[in-house]
Amino acid sequence: MSETTIYLEMNNIKKSFGDLQVLKDISLKVHEGEVLSIIGPSGSGKSTLLRIATMLETMDNGSIKYMDKEAASAENGSVHYAKPQALREIKKNFGLVFQNFNLFPHKTVLHNLIDAPVHVQKRNKTEVIAEAKALLEKMGLSDKEDYYPSQLSGGQQQRVAIARALALKPKVLFFDEPTSALDPELTGEVLKVIKALAEEKMTMVIVTHEMSFAKKISDRVIFMDKGVIAVEGTPEEVFNSDHSRMQEFLGKLKHE
Amino acid sequence: MKLRKKILCALLTISTTAALLTGCGKKDNKTFTVGFDAEYPPYGYMDENGEYTGFDLELAEEVCKINGWTLKKQPIDWANKDNELNSGSIDCIWNGFTINGREDKYEWSVPYVDNSQVVVVKADSGIKGLSDLAGKTVGVQAASAALDVLTDEEGQKELGDSFGKLQEFADYNTAFVELQAGSVDAIAMDIGVAQYQISGRGDEFIILDEHLNAEQYGVGFKLGNTKMRDDVNKALKELKQNGKFDELAEKYGLSEMTCLEP
Amino acid sequence: MSFFNMLEQISSGMLHTILIFFFTLVFSLPLGWIVAFGRMSKNKIISGITAFFISILRGTPLMLQLMVVFYGPYFLFQLPIGNWRFPAIIVGFSINYAAYFAEIYRSGISAIPVGQYEAAHILGYTKVQTFFKIILPQVIRIILPAVTNEVITLVKDTSLAFSISYIEMFSITKQIASTQTTLMPFAIAAAFYYIFNLLVSFVMRRLEKRLNYY
Repeated sequence: MSETTIYLEMNNIKKSFGDLQVLKDISLKVHEGEVLSIIGPSGSGKSTLLRIATMLETMDNGSIKYMDKEAASAENGSVHYAKPQALREIKKNFGLVFQNFNLFPHKTVLHNLIDAPVHVQKRNKTEVIAEAKALLEKMGLSDKEDYYPSQLSGGQQQRVAIARALALKPKVLFFDEPTSALDPELTGEVLKVIKALAEEKMTMVIVTHEMSFAKKISDRVIFMDKGVIAVEGTPEEVFNSDHSRMQEFLGKLKHE
Repeated sequence: MKLRKKILCALLTISTTAALLTGCGKKDNKTFTVGFDAEYPPYGYMDENGEYTGFDLELAEEVCKINGWTLKKQPIDWANKDNELNSGSIDCIWNGFTINGREDKYEWSVPYVDNSQVVVVKADSGIKGLSDLAGKTVGVQAASAALDVLTDEEGQKELGDSFGKLQEFADYNTAFVELQAGSVDAIAMDIGVAQYQISGRGDEFIILDEHLNAEQYGVGFKLGNTKMRDDVNKALKELKQNGKFDELAEKYGLSEMTCLEP
Repeated sequence: MSFFNMLEQISSGMLHTILIFFFTLVFSLPLGWIVAFGRMSKNKIISGITAFFISILRGTPLMLQLMVVFYGPYFLFQLPIGNWRFPAIIVGFSINYAAYFAEIYRSGISAIPVGQYEAAHILGYTKVQTFFKIILPQVIRIILPAVTNEVITLVKDTSLAFSISYIEMFSITKQIASTQTTLMPFAIAAAFYYIFNLLVSFVMRRLEKRLNYY
């Protein structure tokens, strides 16, 4: 795996909210074509890590690089970003799928997909529409392109959100607990889509509570606990680890 | 698109109208702006055709003819008359404007109408004289001469204090409706106004024989503006001499009350 | 004065009422956004000053504000104000209504979930694009009922213009009533205001319906 390109590199990330240190010196790398799952109990800092990686949240210390280009670095709470033009280019490398979908309610499904490619990336509209329709077909939503988000089920909305992120052709796609806002019977359709992407070798970082899913599709799993990476490795290594917190975590899940 | 064009058209029309309304009448020496209360017949009011007219306004028109000025009639909120005058948005207050008690506040023209403050009651109210008003509710126009008389130590303050309540109102129409409805027992006002109001409303109302005081009307100019006052005085004198003044007084039923010296 | 004559006079006053109404909306609706942004500014001084002005404008009678705007230039700076009457009305009304609209806009903006901004940010929208393409269309739908209320109030507030002697429909009505010693003109004026507001409500309802597509 070391010979493949490194898409994302985060070094020595620290973050505190007030007196509470949620991330204590975290470093990780994401390689091309890799599916990385981040698991851990609530409050372990996994969502914060994802928000820092996507620059929705600032960090106190550390650095973030995409495709070997520095996007941001911070020391003692003051963050230094790449120049606006460069930063905009860097941000094109990743997309994010939110827990609550965050679709634009006033736009149809199709327009949710094409608006950013057309108006942000200034691409040819006809071409973008053709691609968007292909994406929707892949998501099993061909008949929904003229619907508004409020007319769709949660599972359908999340699939639209995934398609919207893919429409910008990111190199890395982040998922922030993509199924935890969904009714249990709807999670399957979303996980199926993510699995299909994994099979196409899409590079993905997934924060999730779906353990069996993480085990099945991940190339690598990170178990986070109290702001540090407690266990890291292949799914087998992590899920069979004798780390006490990991055992406790899995045990708790079983009893839930 | 069609709708948009229509809206644009409407916008243009309205803004042009607004420009005309605000832009015209550029102030120069030849414009004479008279501030008046348009709810004060027979001195100043709106006639059948929607034109502002009245004894004072016609008189002002004649004065302007003599002096070669253009008359601009500006209806004002009576309570704001001093702001209007002092800020220069009007040249004078000409509107059955009582001199007495305000001698030092304005440059006054010669007095031209002798007016009294009187009390109007319902004919069947049983009120015969001023002393019957004790404990009653008496209406009076805000910022008016009648109010001054009833609250001034040197005027009829004692009488005013004997009233149950001194009810201020904004215009005479409301006051008469209230009198009719019985929510006020009497209204204090200028005799000329009283006569006009009663003639329009029938004999349901009467004027008490006992008057509150006698007073005179003049044209009020801003302190220091003696030049314009003198021009008006000269013109008034000329109108008296050529008979035009008496003619107008007769037209408005005020002949008995004029006091302009020839 | 005949009934028809009264109608004619009161309608001529209506034109002035509509002028006030129209120009106030033209200026106050956009101005409200500027005030709202000032109010929401991260700069404490700007947001503090804006909050103070909003509280003054909402906490004092519009009639007094009109008098300050009209007479102020003379009493403070000795400027001639002869032709300032109508502009002063529009300035006074626009500033006052902008303060109210600003608070409505602000409540609308704060009703938009933060996730909308985050999604737009991740998708690469600039701040300006985010506001105009994502936030504003949603805000307009949220605030429309509240704006409608203000607009209806404005129709009735136009009568305050007489406090600085601008002759609009209500003052003409009062003048006719006093000359004719009758209450009929008030009945006519009431009907005019009512019809005007029916029209306003109709237009706003149409607009609300059109924005109710999602």
